[in-house]
Amino acid sequence: MLLSLLLLIPLLGALGLVLWPGAPSSERLREISIVVLAVQTVASFALLLPFDAADSALQLVEQARWVHVIGLDYALAVDGLSLPLVLMNGVLCLVAAIASRKIENRPRIYFALLLVISAAVNGAFLAQNLLLFFLFYELELIPLWMLIAIWGGANRSYAATKFLIVTAVSGVLILAAFLGLAFVTGSIDFSLRPVLAGEMGMTAQFVLMGALLIGFGIKIPLFPFHTWLPDAHTEASTPVSVLLAGVLLKLGTYGLLRFCMGLFPDAWQLASPWLAAWAAISVLYGSLAAIAQTDMKRMVAYSSVGHMGYVLLAAAAATPLGLMGALFQMVSHALISGVLFLMVGVVYVRTGTRDLNVLRGLLNPQRGLPLTGSLMIVGVMASAGLPGMAGFISEFLIFRGTLQPFPIATLLSMVGSGLTAVYFLLLVNRAFFGRLAIAPGEVVNPRILDRVALREQVPAIALSLGVLVLGLAPWLLSDLSEAATTGLSLINGDLS
Amino acid sequence: MTSELPLPIQTAWLIPLYGFAGMLVSLPWACGAFRRDAHRPAAYLNILLTLVAFAHGSLILQQVIQFGPADLSFPWLNVADLELNISFSLSLTNLVALELITGLSLLSQVYSLGYMDKEWALARFFALLGFFEGAMSGVVLSDSLFQSYFLLEMLTLSTYLLVGFWYAQPLVVTAARDAFLTKRVGDVLLLMGVVALCAYSGVMGFNDLYAWAAQDSLSPLAATLLSLGLIAGPTGKCAQFPMHLWLDEAMEGPNPASILRNSVVVTCGAIVLLKVMPILQLSPIAIGVMLVIGSISAIGGSLVALAQVDIKRTLSYSTTAQLGLVFIAIALQIPVLALLLLFTHAVSKALLSMSIGGVIASTNCQDITELGGLGSRMPATTTAFLVGGAGLVGFLPLGGFLALAQSIELLSVRSVPYMAIFLLTNALTALGLVRVFRHVFMGSSLIKSRRAAEVNWQMALPMVALSVIVLITPLMLLRLESLEGLLAFPLWAAALVVSSGLVGLVVGALLPLSKAWSRSLNPLLRWWQDLLAYDFYTERFYRLTIVNVVASFSRLAYWFDRKVVDGLLNGVARFSLSSADSLKLSVSGQSQSYVLTVLVAIVLFLTSVSWFLT
Repeated sequence: MLLSLLLLIPLLGALGLVLWPGAPSSERLREISIVVLAVQTVASFALLLPFDAADSALQLVEQARWVHVIGLDYALAVDGLSLPLVLMNGVLCLVAAIASRKIENRPRIYFALLLVISAAVNGAFLAQNLLLFFLFYELELIPLWMLIAIWGGANRSYAATKFLIVTAVSGVLILAAFLGLAFVTGSIDFSLRPVLAGEMGMTAQFVLMGALLIGFGIKIPLFPFHTWLPDAHTEASTPVSVLLAGVLLKLGTYGLLRFCMGLFPDAWQLASPWLAAWAAISVLYGSLAAIAQTDMKRMVAYSSVGHMGYVLLAAAAATPLGLMGALFQMVSHALISGVLFLMVGVVYVRTGTRDLNVLRGLLNPQRGLPLTGSLMIVGVMASAGLPGMAGFISEFLIFRGTLQPFPIATLLSMVGSGLTAVYFLLLVNRAFFGRLAIAPGEVVNPRILDRVALREQVPAIALSLGVLVLGLAPWLLSDLSEAATTGLSLINGDLS
Repeated sequence: MTSELPLPIQTAWLIPLYGFAGMLVSLPWACGAFRRDAHRPAAYLNILLTLVAFAHGSLILQQVIQFGPADLSFPWLNVADLELNISFSLSLTNLVALELITGLSLLSQVYSLGYMDKEWALARFFALLGFFEGAMSGVVLSDSLFQSYFLLEMLTLSTYLLVGFWYAQPLVVTAARDAFLTKRVGDVLLLMGVVALCAYSGVMGFNDLYAWAAQDSLSPLAATLLSLGLIAGPTGKCAQFPMHLWLDEAMEGPNPASILRNSVVVTCGAIVLLKVMPILQLSPIAIGVMLVIGSISAIGGSLVALAQVDIKRTLSYSTTAQLGLVFIAIALQIPVLALLLLFTHAVSKALLSMSIGGVIASTNCQDITELGGLGSRMPATTTAFLVGGAGLVGFLPLGGFLALAQSIELLSVRSVPYMAIFLLTNALTALGLVRVFRHVFMGSSLIKSRRAAEVNWQMALPMVALSVIVLITPLMLLRLESLEGLLAFPLWAAALVVSSGLVGLVVGALLPLSKAWSRSLNPLLRWWQDLLAYDFYTERFYRLTIVNVVASFSRLAYWFDRKVVDGLLNGVARFSLSSADSLKLSVSGQSQSYVLTVLVAIVLFLTSVSWFLT
């Protein structure tokens, strides 16, 4: 029942928002949705109580017949892979709601959509039926499209349309693969069983896995399917960017691990050298493209392309350690990119620009944004994999887990990790170091930026603390998921 | 498991935490929770914590001298086949290094009270110093390669933040960037080495790694790559060629941090190198590379120091040179010598840095050609410079002399060319110090030094204290090492060291120092001067090579992204939109035709799928 609650709470909340009597102010709607999401987050953390970390099997299974004729049943369960992602979803949706200040344009719909996304993502992480997963996967798509298309920036319709078309293709490919699976095996039982693909021919496995790979590769996103992401991020508002980078990209990596790797283990292992090469290309490409960016948000977006490439690398190796690293990377990337997007948002609101050619000296203690700058430094250092923060642990686990099977791809990915330091250092050095820029036209009186109240920074501070806690006490996450990632791995034990 | 150990040893894990705690307690002041001009409490708290760290270290040192070394280990992360521990090795060497670090940190924090007197962000500075000290203490005590890497990277971060302390100045911005990126290059290579070692050996503790390396199961290529990775990190940390530029640029940061950077940060890098030394023996090529790096840094660094006019840069290049000697000593597998050199260099160089910090604080000038005649005006500072210089260049009974005489003795049986490098470096160092001394402290007062006064007591006290420490360094060494061990060098070795120093002294004393000489009209001489003054054009070399490569690739990637990847996507979109536009003209409105189209499409799809899948 607990798992269904995670879907029901936000969905009922969304319904409540829409039906709320009178004309509630934007602030009131925000408060309601914060309360709903807080309850949902508490409920998801409550999963930790009955959850048995030592058990790699599915737990808290909930099943009900639904549209059984076409194989669509209601089946939810949680394991060590999905539990941290559900927790992450709760926290980041809450952060996004808190960061959604001053939504004057149709706030009722805005917050309702936010809650629907939260429910859909929970559903996707928990679904144990392929069609049910697909349903939730698509359910999150339209709200996000609307969040970009209605509350986005100047060029929002281009970005939103691109997002919709590209991710719809991703959905179609995934659905095609799931249907193909049924078609080939001749059963219309879509419940998630890893053995399903066992009796299939290799060609069939490759075709279906390829469709899934491209489908999830678009979502993750991996080179060359990534160009929707920088556009979507640039046009999306700050909370939507936090959701997009923190939660929705993880649906792609989750799908990669759960379905591509989980359903087609044999084909996956045959393809793994190519996947590792693809991962290394994606990492290097994302990092290099990020260096060339002058828009802070685009830079962070390209960094996501690079950092999600590590997950593919780890999945290709499919060692227990690598998969733990992949999960760690999903969680830490969510927290870190949350901090980064929130800070970029603060800078954008205060200065009106994200252009690194214009911004200077924002660390200035009197007239600048010192706390924002400090949090930004924490975020970029974590993203660059500095020890003591979560990003380092995930990179170390991944590289350590993938070095033996794929030494060259791993070393190239480590170069990508070095490049992360390059572009993020450029960002901090340009925007925050140096002398505070004098706004054009105001030669005598430099512009004084509005002070940022401490309470505005609470979400970012909380996320930063999370990054530090996971970086210093990584066992908090690894103990929770070790059984599951080990169970998921295709290669057991040490290779040497 | 450690219940039988005495309490100070059991709680040794606290030592790095004192520094980090110092950072935490300073945060309220640094974040502006209190009045902006009342940052002193944060400084006092930091000094207190450093004092505690020093005292705790002394207690442990005493215990270890009495009862022998001890090890501490706590499990940290245990996933799949990976087992990472937090482990400390409380050996005599590590503890002496720890005392050196906490002691010098204490002195330079007191010094900062004077030097940073008017600084508005004093709390932030002390917070960073605490972070710095904590990371360094952890590095020297570390008994695991993973932990050493972890803390070295933290050191990189804190160096970046300390160098970038005055972030509003343009030169500081580039200096902080270069410091971070140069070290980061070394660190990423080191990480490759660490990950590879971890993957192939499965262990991270130094002793386990030695045991693994002794079995020697790696291919020569793998061993070489691995060793080169392990060398790269310390090369960056110790400011060795070709990753030395950052130390020189880092001089843009506050001086108290420079004191630590020039003395103990580089020592940390060298100590990590010492700890991985037994693993490096897998690869003769790596040893050769270390010797080359050390030799180039020693000779090149001391030559470049001669051509600098910035008083802080003369020192930073001499640090590169001295650490070059340490690299040679480590490569030749003489750890005792490396430690001796490190210790004597650290205390002397810290004192020299304090002295020139005094000059800068009092004159607000770093250009030695604009200074002069400070000797009579600033007696304590002058004495500190003399004592520090004497300690560094092998002045007769001082620490540097003992270390160098030992080196000559040990090298004479192993490798005479390296002996020559040691002597040459010593002569050049002496020459450089005499040159600076003549410029700054002797001669007639120039405009900027005419009204200079002696430094305030917060700066003078650590200077005097450290002068005394430099003077009694030989006695301290004698306590640690037996008399016979330390003085076991023949007379001719002593004579060689002293005479090499004297040659430098005499040449330096006779060198013409007129302003005209500082940039010669003679084209050949000027070419040489420029070559050295611009550090063999290293910066230009960086820009033409690695910076250029990364920048070009990033531009190429972005161009490809916009034109090819995005262009293709937009092209497909445009095509489908236009074909939809033309299709809508053929719409008839008859539902049968739609059903027919859909059916045909499904049949075609399923046929193609089944053809594919069978």
